[in-house]
Amino acid sequence: MIQDFITIIQDYWLLLLIGQYPNGPLGGLANTLILSALAIALAFPVSILMALARLSKWWFLRWPMTALVYVTRGVPLLMLILWCYFVIPLWTGADVPSFLIMLVTLVIYQGAFLSEVVRAGIVSLGQGQMDAARALGHGYMGAMRFVILPQALYNMIPSMISTFVSTIKDTTLGYVINVPDLTFAASQVNNQLLTQPFQVFLILAVVYYILCWSLTYVANRVERRIARRRAGPRNARLPAEAAPLKTITEQL
Amino acid sequence: MSTSVSEPQAAPAIRIADVCKSYGDYQVLKNINAEVARGEVVVICGPSGSGKSTLIRTVNRLEEISGGGISFEGQDIHAPMRASELNKLRSRIGFVFQSFNLFPHLSVVENVSMSPIRVKGVAADVAHDKALKLLDRVGLADKANSYPGQLSGGQQQRVAIARALAMEPPVMLFDEPTSALDPEMVGEVLSVMKSLAAEGMTMLCVTHEMGFARDVADRIWFIDAGEILETAPPEEFFKNPRHPRAQRFLADLRH
Ligand SMILES: Nc1ncnc2c1ncn2[C@@H]1O[C@H](COP(=O)(O)OP(=O)(O)O)[C@@H](O)[C@H]1O
Ligand SMILES: [Mg+2]
Repeated sequence: MIQDFITIIQDYWLLLLIGQYPNGPLGGLANTLILSALAIALAFPVSILMALARLSKWWFLRWPMTALVYVTRGVPLLMLILWCYFVIPLWTGADVPSFLIMLVTLVIYQGAFLSEVVRAGIVSLGQGQMDAARALGHGYMGAMRFVILPQALYNMIPSMISTFVSTIKDTTLGYVINVPDLTFAASQVNNQLLTQPFQVFLILAVVYYILCWSLTYVANRVERRIARRRAGPRNARLPAEAAPLKTITEQL
Repeated sequence: MSTSVSEPQAAPAIRIADVCKSYGDYQVLKNINAEVARGEVVVICGPSGSGKSTLIRTVNRLEEISGGGISFEGQDIHAPMRASELNKLRSRIGFVFQSFNLFPHLSVVENVSMSPIRVKGVAADVAHDKALKLLDRVGLADKANSYPGQLSGGQQQRVAIARALAMEPPVMLFDEPTSALDPEMVGEVLSVMKSLAAEGMTMLCVTHEMGFARDVADRIWFIDAGEILETAPPEEFFKNPRHPRAQRFLADLRH
């Protein structure tokens, strides 16, 4: 039994790591990581813009963005993937690679979720910070950039890491539109071996578990550090002050 | 010299003309008319909920008004204008909040130097040196590298005053600057305000500190239910309040 695992890993580690590359597109674990990293790197600025639009005083920004966030949050990710898969080529008229379609979908999906965290972070600062910045002569953008967002985003770091973890899990759904990621590579291995699905998919599960668990571990460490820093300088006697952070992280 | 050039120089620091403000059906400010001359210290007092905060926040347009006009050194603050123009006007009106509203993610010296750098384009080292001087002036030079969360309320409010002064405003507005403080810290903030007044700063202060009003103010505005019912020099206001509601307000304060 153990021997089966070792043999599979020995024979297919390169396929699981980088897919068909360099004879085909990059795939495997490398592609999973690249897709997740790109998705979160793009979803982050997108989520800030979405949050600002939702807090805008202009209805023509607020209404469509609110609708988009509600729809995105109320629909299974798989629906969104299939929808983008069929709609994006229709709109662009081009043959869009499945990797790109998956990336766009993940950016919209995670952007919508993160935007709620950003929005909550901004709202929780209260009107006073904005008033103080405006009274000193900062414009709306300056107040956001130098006063509001640095505070809101700093508190968001653990949520960002948690979102990264869920993004990694979500990339597996790219399987349905043939994104060449780790799951795709594992199913290729399975198709070649035919007789050892249990072993192959256990290896797959272990890799995802290690990846996500270690990131969750980092998130918890960072979260505790932020909680300590927030409690420390401000009010050494009240270490429980940062409690709400935890709930946000756990929701994601 | 032509009158159009000399006229703004002669204009009062703040002129409030027929200002009205409503929230829905509820009229918070009713036809307010008043002036603050340059170098004058005015204390606004009145019962809570009478519209003091609303009035003082309309002066730098943190609140919009429903009617009338407010001019600052002859310029109409509530006229339609570009955002950048309003920001420039606002940067010349210092505002001190009841709840300090320091920026908790910045050190004390950064709180004071950030806006001169980002709004006025002052060089960072120049702004830093200036900030240290201002902190020295409010007695907090040794706290320059602390964070707001490490300071007492009185210290935070003194930093907030230094932060406002860093923009070199000709006018300072205070909205109950000592109301959120423990009693033992009220004095340190008031003494900073007193020294500002002694240096000739134009000040409009909402406060319940009647000792400060008596010693420092040139005029008192008494406001109740959105109306200025009485304006008088402090000696007169405290000895001989004319309006019955001002008499009742002072009697309540003494208890
Ligand atoms: N945003 C608002 N919406 C509705 N009513 C308000 C708002 N802000 C203040 N008010 C009302 O306006 C009145 C005056 O408030 P305020 O100016 O804060 O009084 P003061 O500073 O004298 O205590 C109060 O009755 C208050 O409830
Ligand atoms: Mg008030």
